[in-house]
Amino acid sequence: MISATQVLQAADDGPLKLESILKVLSAQFAAVPSSKQLVRRRRLDTFDRRLEAAGLMLEHQIVAAGERLVLGRSDGSGTMAVSVKDPRWPALVDLLPSGPVRDAIAPVIGVRALMVSSDERRRIQRVDLRNGEGKTVARVELDEPASVAASPAKLTVRRLRGYDEQARRADRLLVGLGLRAVEQGEDQLPGPAQQMPVTDRAVPATALLAVALSGFLATMRENLPGLLDDVDTEFLHDFRVAVRRTRATLKLGRPALPEVMRTRWEPAFKSLGDLTTPLRDLDVYQLDLPSMSHWLVTADPTDLDPLATHLGRRRAVARRELASSLRSTTFRRLVMQWAEELAWLQDQPEGGGRKALSAGRLADRSISRAHARVARGGALIGADSPAGDLHGLRKRCKELRYALEVFAPLIDHAARKRAVADLKGLQDVLGRFQDSEVQRHAMRGFAEEMMAEGTTAGAVLAMGELIGHLDVAQERARREFDAAFARFERPSSLQLMHKLGGAR
Amino acid sequence: MRVMATYNIKGGVGKTSTAVNLAYLAAREGRRTLLWDLDPQAAATYMFRVRPRVKGGGHALVSRKRPVQAALKATDFDNLDLLPADFSYRNMDLELDDTKKRTSRLGQLLDSVAAEYDMVFLDCPPSISLVSENVMHACDTLLVPLIPATLSLRTFDQLTRFVADSQGSRPEVVAFFSMADRRKRLHRDVIDGIARDRTRVANTVIPALSIIEQMAERRAPVPAFAPTSRAAQCYEQLWVEVRPR
Repeated sequence: MISATQVLQAADDGPLKLESILKVLSAQFAAVPSSKQLVRRRRLDTFDRRLEAAGLMLEHQIVAAGERLVLGRSDGSGTMAVSVKDPRWPALVDLLPSGPVRDAIAPVIGVRALMVSSDERRRIQRVDLRNGEGKTVARVELDEPASVAASPAKLTVRRLRGYDEQARRADRLLVGLGLRAVEQGEDQLPGPAQQMPVTDRAVPATALLAVALSGFLATMRENLPGLLDDVDTEFLHDFRVAVRRTRATLKLGRPALPEVMRTRWEPAFKSLGDLTTPLRDLDVYQLDLPSMSHWLVTADPTDLDPLATHLGRRRAVARRELASSLRSTTFRRLVMQWAEELAWLQDQPEGGGRKALSAGRLADRSISRAHARVARGGALIGADSPAGDLHGLRKRCKELRYALEVFAPLIDHAARKRAVADLKGLQDVLGRFQDSEVQRHAMRGFAEEMMAEGTTAGAVLAMGELIGHLDVAQERARREFDAAFARFERPSSLQLMHKLGGAR
Repeated sequence: MRVMATYNIKGGVGKTSTAVNLAYLAAREGRRTLLWDLDPQAAATYMFRVRPRVKGGGHALVSRKRPVQAALKATDFDNLDLLPADFSYRNMDLELDDTKKRTSRLGQLLDSVAAEYDMVFLDCPPSISLVSENVMHACDTLLVPLIPATLSLRTFDQLTRFVADSQGSRPEVVAFFSMADRRKRLHRDVIDGIARDRTRVANTVIPALSIIEQMAERRAPVPAFAPTSRAAQCYEQLWVEVRPR
């Protein structure tokens, strides 16, 4: 295996001279240069940089002889490569050739598509450093820009396993040439600019709310192109989360925000959220279908093929409708006016709200109220409570969760983390209950639509099995509710909430 | 991690050529590959221009005084590492006999590098011994090169019986004809007449070609120095047949 030991650049970031490099290395090695190769290097990652976060670096390299995907660690170690034929980006992991590269990145990127995050043309020349046996014991790679805008020339000494000393000798020889060492991973991609969070409890609440809302707007804008191009399902998911957080923040901020937020913007974002629901629901069914097929007992997984086709058709229609709405002048105007509204809010020295409420006061009040609603709602749930009551409680839990997130900069970090963990347990049970409820009804609806279109009996019977499984899953979640709520209400959890300004 | 061993009781049947070429092809596909040259003659080690020396010898490895990782050497090819041979491997039987789990120690040593490799090739010495038993337990596939001759088939029968009688997990045995000369009637008869139902016999036949002998002179796998040669194509075909899905 090969890994980089040192990356070097000319002191003035200027070009590097191969003749001088060969001359200095020849003192201890037989330095054998390969011919110069023009390489197009397209760095690949998901939109949210999952590979970079996992310390991985994936490149699509195109040379005259062919194309390959090269995966390595950001520190230059453990490179592996696989040949590819004219891949198109963005692409989901299933479209990559099977093998170790795909196996290594699949669990990291999940359902996200790989996109080109940088694209450079470089001239690469490899120099093999050989010993007396003619064995390559280290490699030096001269990497020069082939275009003006590209990053400066660099020289990488690559260590070969079992020959560390030889690589160190090559390093020493090159440093003697007057080259400077560059930090590993210096060429990391720049992250998105983020606004500084408000951490002072005394500032007007509107300042904190404006920062949070502006962040959600930025997320919506960042995800919009990928959503419209249908790059992967996470763009819509993240867009919806930003919309939901906006709605929750507007609701939490009612005591401090101007009236127009409640009368105009709360309904506007509710409509926007509703607009995206049909497509997201269909995405979820499509993503879940492979695991749902494992639920089948008597039916064959292929019996669900007509359902997959039906979902695909429905999704195409839903996507067209959503894309048309999000490309409309109405939506563009909505986003523009919302940005203006937030800019105005941020410019108000005293908050611009009805009352000059501090951020700290609003945080305490919001967390306290949201917690009280969950505690009250949960206590009312009994064995005969209708599904709607559990759904309502789930919404209250989400409000509390958002309150803990929006006011996170103002509250104790460790306590918040533990409180969220306690809340998550309850949310998980309520989520499974509600998802089963919705999916059962949806499955019945799909079955009726498919029967009207003349689907096979096998498909309907298989869907019946799925409904049966969902029924059992919902029952299980219902049985788990009491224990989950008891955990949420246990004294240590209430103490935690009290610390965060929640429990009374 | 999948382990494939090239093995035959007889010597000079093409074990090392097969291990070297298939390991190269696996690495070329992007699989992180390790070749362990278990033969003290060190032919595979020589072909990769690596010094046939392991610090502390076979004793240090088998007794775990030195980790396997410390002995690994990168070859000149991407994704392909070598665990070199050492002349002390001639005593590996004795070293293994001194360990607690005498028939599974090599497998345990390989487990220690399982996270780093997708494929491991074992190039085995020509014998039937405790090393062979260890190889049987450690590998998923036992790849057996056969020269198309009556005595080869007899030896192969001995080998299949040995595998069948061995305790614990047994590898899949895949035989293939090696060093075949279609001009010889005997070779043709043996290749066409082998009972393919009794064990898995690969369809690919590796012919006796001088370019394969040149590996020792060029010190590289055939597909690396003669990628369009017939020999390279045959090894590619064999790899397609035997590689893990």
